Amino acid sequence: MSQLYKVKVNGQHELTVDASQGTTLLEVMEQAGLEPHYHCRNGFCGACRVQLVSGEVDYVNDPLAFIRPGDCLACCCTAKTDLEINQ
Amino acid sequence: MSYSTFNKNQINPLHEPMFFGNSVNVARYDQQKHSIFEKLIEKQISFFWRPEEVDVSRDRVDFQALTESEKHIFISNLKYQTLLDSVQGRSPNIALLPIVSIPELETWIETWSFFETIHSRSYTHILRNLFTDPSEVFEDIVINEEIQKRANDISQYYDDLIFYTQLWQTHGEGVWEVDGEEHTVNMRELKKKLFLCINSVNALEAIRFYVSFACTFAFAERDLMEGNSKIIRLIARDENLHLVSTQQILNLWQYGKDDPEMKEIAEELREEALAIFMKAVEQEKQWAHYLFRNGSMIGLNEEMLCQYVEYIANMRMEAIGFDAPFKQRSNPLPWMNKYLVSDNVQVAPQEAEITSYLVGQIDSEVSAADLGDFEL
Repeated sequence: MSQLYKVKVNGQHELTVDASQGTTLLEVMEQAGLEPHYHCRNGFCGACRVQLVSGEVDYVNDPLAFIRPGDCLACCCTAKTDLEINQ
Repeated sequence: MSYSTFNKNQINPLHEPMFFGNSVNVARYDQQKHSIFEKLIEKQISFFWRPEEVDVSRDRVDFQALTESEKHIFISNLKYQTLLDSVQGRSPNIALLPIVSIPELETWIETWSFFETIHSRSYTHILRNLFTDPSEVFEDIVINEEIQKRANDISQYYDDLIFYTQLWQTHGEGVWEVDGEEHTVNMRELKKKLFLCINSVNALEAIRFYVSFACTFAFAERDLMEGNSKIIRLIARDENLHLVSTQQILNLWQYGKDDPEMKEIAEELREEALAIFMKAVEQEKQWAHYLFRNGSMIGLNEEMLCQYVEYIANMRMEAIGFDAPFKQRSNPLPWMNKYLVSDNVQVAPQEAEITSYLVGQIDSEVSAADLGDFEL
């Protein structure tokens, strides 16, 4: 069953993501043609850090980088609710 | 407050701060105050590699065909990286082990330093292949003025912390005269020195390697010096992990999740920490200038490199709670990313070393359903 959530990026791009597919936020942004920051794509470098303005995310693997309050690591999380992120 | 290799007092490491508490006695990991450090150890060990696994023999032919300015870029970067890893292969051990107070962090520091020694050995592996006698390259590291300028800034905070820790562990708190100079030793001063030292190491791991990485990968983009590039990719992956550990330490302090006095110090010395980072950025730009003084290389010039330093500095500074100071928000060298993705790191053509690979983790369970369509 598909679980569709809306992801708003930088207050301008409105993307739709199917959480049941396990697509990470980073992949969602890439598929939409945005150019998100990344390095390791594995949760340990922190380069993909984005500001999580509203909503909740699930981590697909345990990130090693420190997640400051109000941030999330796009390479290893999926949407759990509708989201608003800034990068 | 002399150091003991086995503290005989009964201590509860769950109540100890990361540094300057009781020294560690039993190396136990069944209970952990900051479990992140054990996760870093596991990840780092799963990354294990040996320089000799990477075949660099083709690089010699490539190197001889480089222009003089390209040779200057290549060798200067290797010298600088050799300096960085010479410092990092010993300093975390010497400066931090005498003052660390929780076992998981103690073991992380040793694991971290050990991997830096693998990096040091890999530079010799690369240089031995390029030159019959690489000693001229190594000897220049302590003579070359450009490298010396950086060496001072890198080692000064470590040296300062080590010196004050030694005074404290031999004489205790007080004002001590050494070689005609007075030194005030108290816990607050020691913690301040530790804070600045970790900030300096963080800046080192965060940006100091990246000018050199960019040049290496720019050669690889032209199918040149590929053995070297494979090694540098493995080093870049390790350095990313080391960076995460210093970011964790700084953030744990800042958010008051460790020693409350370190939270105060982090606020008090915020400007100084910022200055350490900005100076490292400035020095890296000057390094880019030095590299390209004889001419640039295809696909890369001084301006692009400086933009990349700013781009990466923004990212690194936001990770420890500073505002991004530079305008450069887009990646000026997008091809860099494909060399920094951890799962693309490959040691040898026959051995794809993916980060998730761990010995003994092969799924060996076979259920009856797996043999469902098997007929005799």
